[in-house]
Amino acid sequence: MLEITNLSVSYGGLRALTDVSLSVHEGQFVTVVGPNGAGKSTLFKTISGIVAPAGGQVTFLGENLLDLPPARRAHLGIAHVPEGRQVFKTLTVRENLEMGAYPKAGREAWHHTLDRIHTLFPILSERATQLAGTLSGGEQQMVAIGRGLACAPRLLMLDEPSMGLAPAVADTIFERVSQIHREDGVTILLVEQRVAEALELSDHGYVLETGRMVLDGPYEMLLQDDRVRKSYLGLS
Amino acid sequence: MDLEVLIENVLNALAAGITIGCIYGLMCIGLGLIFGIMRIVNFAQGELLMLGMFASLYLVTGGGILAFLGPYIGPFVGALLAGPIVFAFGVLLHKFLIARVSGLRTTGSLDEGHFGQLVVTLGISLILQNGGLILFGSTPMTVRTPLASSAIEVGPIYGDATVFLNKARLIACAVAIVTAAGLYLLLEFTRMGKALRAAADNPTAATYMGIDTDKAYRIAFGLGSGITAIAGGLMATYLSFGPFVGLDYVIIMYSGVVLGGMGSILGAFWGGLTVGFVQQCSALVLPPQLQNAAIFVVFLMIVLLRPQGLFGRSAERA
Repeated sequence: MLEITNLSVSYGGLRALTDVSLSVHEGQFVTVVGPNGAGKSTLFKTISGIVAPAGGQVTFLGENLLDLPPARRAHLGIAHVPEGRQVFKTLTVRENLEMGAYPKAGREAWHHTLDRIHTLFPILSERATQLAGTLSGGEQQMVAIGRGLACAPRLLMLDEPSMGLAPAVADTIFERVSQIHREDGVTILLVEQRVAEALELSDHGYVLETGRMVLDGPYEMLLQDDRVRKSYLGLS
Repeated sequence: MDLEVLIENVLNALAAGITIGCIYGLMCIGLGLIFGIMRIVNFAQGELLMLGMFASLYLVTGGGILAFLGPYIGPFVGALLAGPIVFAFGVLLHKFLIARVSGLRTTGSLDEGHFGQLVVTLGISLILQNGGLILFGSTPMTVRTPLASSAIEVGPIYGDATVFLNKARLIACAVAIVTAAGLYLLLEFTRMGKALRAAADNPTAATYMGIDTDKAYRIAFGLGSGITAIAGGLMATYLSFGPFVGLDYVIIMYSGVVLGGMGSILGAFWGGLTVGFVQQCSALVLPPQLQNAAIFVVFLMIVLLRPQGLFGRSAERA
């Protein structure tokens, strides 16, 4: 579904990604883990078109994404839930979700997806008319994920959804993401620093370090890897 | 007897304050969109007002295509039509100049593009003023309507005290309110309006939603230009103006927008209304030269007591 080959990105004169390859198949749950500054968010921004790559290829459902203007990419069914949530603070919760449904597919499925979003995150229906900027961090994350779901995505990209959240709230978020994958059949590409939880949910994992993919494999294999166990899981 | 004169003066100042205030409110909404919501510093806003006045003038008077409407309806239709004309001008202005110093290109930069915007729009303002001088000449103009010299008399209310409502201003005020309400509904409830607000709120996230932010900004800038131009066209019915008229009003617009609270269309309208009201009412106690000083006294007081503006949303800063 999403195929990235030999992607290189320079960011303000610095090499952020070098020869990164990654593939996500329909229905998969793929996780990219790695320390701060490894280039995880840059990878997402390149897929969404906010950052232009220096080389390499990105295709989605056979279409060359790099040829498309950034705003067109969401219309293909790629939802990007950005790092730091980035909700529209001056819009209400409902309006935020409506903006998620901006692409045609989202508008057509609006009533169905809105119900679904409210089932997953009941608090959002209570807060519907509140400005998103007045919500707590966890609630804003729910808005951000709901907004992503609203476009009826084929691929949902989540950039550190647990960042800055209390552990209990983060657990809820992980649970919902897993639910979205299992019950709605949405393909998921997740970037996380909470490695154990993230890998546990996924079919396939990638380890990104200082801009290079150093390791990839199915969940069971990564758990057996000494480096992953030591550096990311704190096990020996 | 003295009391009657006093009451008459006060009531008339109040009436003038409200009617002129509503027109100022509309004028401020234009800048409110551009500066308050999109955060583009636009020093050429006064010149957009001036263009609206001249657009209306050339549509309505002499051989203008709206001349057939006559001096009663013509000036107001002309004012409304000045909107789309200056909208188109604003869209072009944004496409070729403003877009280069605003929007996604400058998001996250040190000054958010404000320095560039300041220089570019100040330049545009100077070019339009002096270009206007060449094209339109320096003779003070006005869009003549007999309505400007007739009034509805209300009263006598107390003794002989009567309120005179200038018909031209009254109609202009009504047109301003309807236009402002229309824009408010457009921004608040249509898909396009919400997309414009989303793009202004967070251009990066808006792009992730599939909103073409360049286009959204262009339309918003055009709307802001067109709305101020309509206000200009309305003011042209009771005011004599020349190419430099914008200078007087750009300051009023900025105070209105900041007064009402950045980021709120309703706030910009109330801000403009307040400014117009203060300006007219100050005429009761101050010589006309000090009317604008009164605006700034009130302005400073509100900024001191309520820095987020009358209608500012505090979530804006969160």
